[in-house]
Amino acid sequence: MTDRDPLLTLWNQQEQEPFTMTLADIHQRAHRFQSRIRTRNITEYAASLLVIGIFAWMAVLIPEPVVKAGAALIVAGTLYVCWKLHQLGRAASTGTVDQAASLADFHRAELLRQRAALATVWNWYLAPFVPGMLVFVTGVTLVADTGLPLMARLTTFAITAGLVSAVFGAVWWLNQRAVKALDKEIAALDRARQK
Amino acid sequence: MTPDEDLDARYLQAAETFGPALQRLARATEANEERRRDLLQDMHVALWQSLARYDGRCSLGTWVYRVAHNTAASHAGRESRRNRGSLPLQDAEDLPDSRSLSKDLERADALDRLNAWIRRLRPPDRQVITLYLEDLDATAIAEITGFSPGAVATRISRLKAQLTRDFKGAAHD
Repeated sequence: MTDRDPLLTLWNQQEQEPFTMTLADIHQRAHRFQSRIRTRNITEYAASLLVIGIFAWMAVLIPEPVVKAGAALIVAGTLYVCWKLHQLGRAASTGTVDQAASLADFHRAELLRQRAALATVWNWYLAPFVPGMLVFVTGVTLVADTGLPLMARLTTFAITAGLVSAVFGAVWWLNQRAVKALDKEIAALDRARQK
Repeated sequence: MTPDEDLDARYLQAAETFGPALQRLARATEANEERRRDLLQDMHVALWQSLARYDGRCSLGTWVYRVAHNTAASHAGRESRRNRGSLPLQDAEDLPDSRSLSKDLERADALDRLNAWIRRLRPPDRQVITLYLEDLDATAIAEITGFSPGAVATRISRLKAQLTRDFKGAAHD
């Protein structure tokens, strides 16, 4: 007779809770999952529409041409981000996430997906707003007739541009840090598989 | 039998055979009772959906374990991103405590502690140890995880040593 690991005995002694999910519940939950994705997409588009609406309204109402151009560029940037979101959403819904892949393959694919999303966020989510923000801030602080002396305008411009750059820079830095952590995890997984 | 009925029948057979293992995996992944129930339901839905694509590339058991573990890993990843830097309350309560460990073990509380210990492992370690606890051999675990049987055996032995150390250390504190 072989000695059975007492841990296995302990593990298999766990009490079973009653599982009450019927087939109808499973069908319904599978359907609800698709609806949840649709709702999330609609929320993202609604937020973009709000930004587009506000800046389009500014572009029409504000007489200063530089501010107008800045607002129009922000609208263009938002439209580009919407298009990318739509593209990514379509790729995710048609992409084959193989739930029955070996755990290492699945885990690696997940890590790579997260890495790609983080590494490219600057290109498609932040960079499209940079020209618009820059022109808009310049227009509002330097070009528009605010009645302030030049020094005060320059200071306002520097502070505003600095704040916007700091936010963008912080997002970029945090993403790069997360990418490095993911790279380490992917390398560790690859090493473990080669053993 | 229609394809849908066939799918339902295959799911019912898999759920009947592997349902208890899925419950144990959910317990080793999620401490919060409500979220654990959600996770278990997600596993069953993922299993039902996946069986439409079951192509016989591996045994039904391997397929079920892969789907369940991949669903659990996604859940754990989402939760850890949501709670980054914070330890879930339930886990904090389950940390080995020098004053009560031996008493707790005597009170058959060891399972809660074992589950809490597993929840703190990294995904590959968590998967390997739970499959080992399901009494699968290194070859079967290797097929499910994608690691070589040798790597699986080494990992199991390292994890068991670590488990003994962690529990013994806590008892002596």
